[in-house]
Amino acid sequence: MSSRSSPIDDLFRAKAEWHRRQARLPLKEKVRILLELQRQDHPLLKRHRHLEWWEEPWPVEP
Amino acid sequence: MASLPDVFRVLNDMKSEGVISDYALGGAMAVLFYAEPTRTYDLDVFVVLPRSDQPIVTLTPVYAWLRARGFEPRAEHVMIHGVPVQLIPAYNELVESAITAARNHDYDDVPVRVSPPEHLIAIALQAGGGKRRERAYQLLETADIDRELLDRLLHRYGIQPPWSGDE
Repeated sequence: MSSRSSPIDDLFRAKAEWHRRQARLPLKEKVRILLELQRQDHPLLKRHRHLEWWEEPWPVEP
Repeated sequence: MASLPDVFRVLNDMKSEGVISDYALGGAMAVLFYAEPTRTYDLDVFVVLPRSDQPIVTLTPVYAWLRARGFEPRAEHVMIHGVPVQLIPAYNELVESAITAARNHDYDDVPVRVSPPEHLIAIALQAGGGKRRERAYQLLETADIDRELLDRLLHRYGIQPPWSGDE
């Protein structure tokens, strides 16, 4: 049995490590990312389903 | 423009003024304190209300306090500095335990009480649903989880973890 990992294994390992790094970011940076995700996703969500009145990007700073 | 710490200050004021006895962030915002950020458009806050003679749990006094400060309730949310906050009275023992065990975090010099990650996993699994299960896995994979504490919580509240067949 070979001990060499496949490119797919490497890809999943790298992805898992990226998620762990994201989890370790400073809180304020994570909130900044959240606010950015809200802005980015909003038009896409709006196109695909009815949004509740409160489903809007937050008008706050991190 | 207001900031997220301004919202946390309002929660702390509610507690210090006795409008609520205690609180802890829940949901995706709480998860953000321990894991990577995921999109959410509201802020879940578990609250313990002061003891009352009323037979029915009501948020009316809390809403009145918020309204007096310009934060208008609408349906199940209250807009606090433009952030839709859902105040959720502790609805069972597990949620009460999450509030009691909440961790005091510091966000830009503003204290904020956040449900522990082990409780967040247990609450997500208890509530059920794909999105919540995904949140539980997200915490398991990227946060520092006390597995013994988590196992105790799951056992105590009779929650069957979906991964019990995985290991």
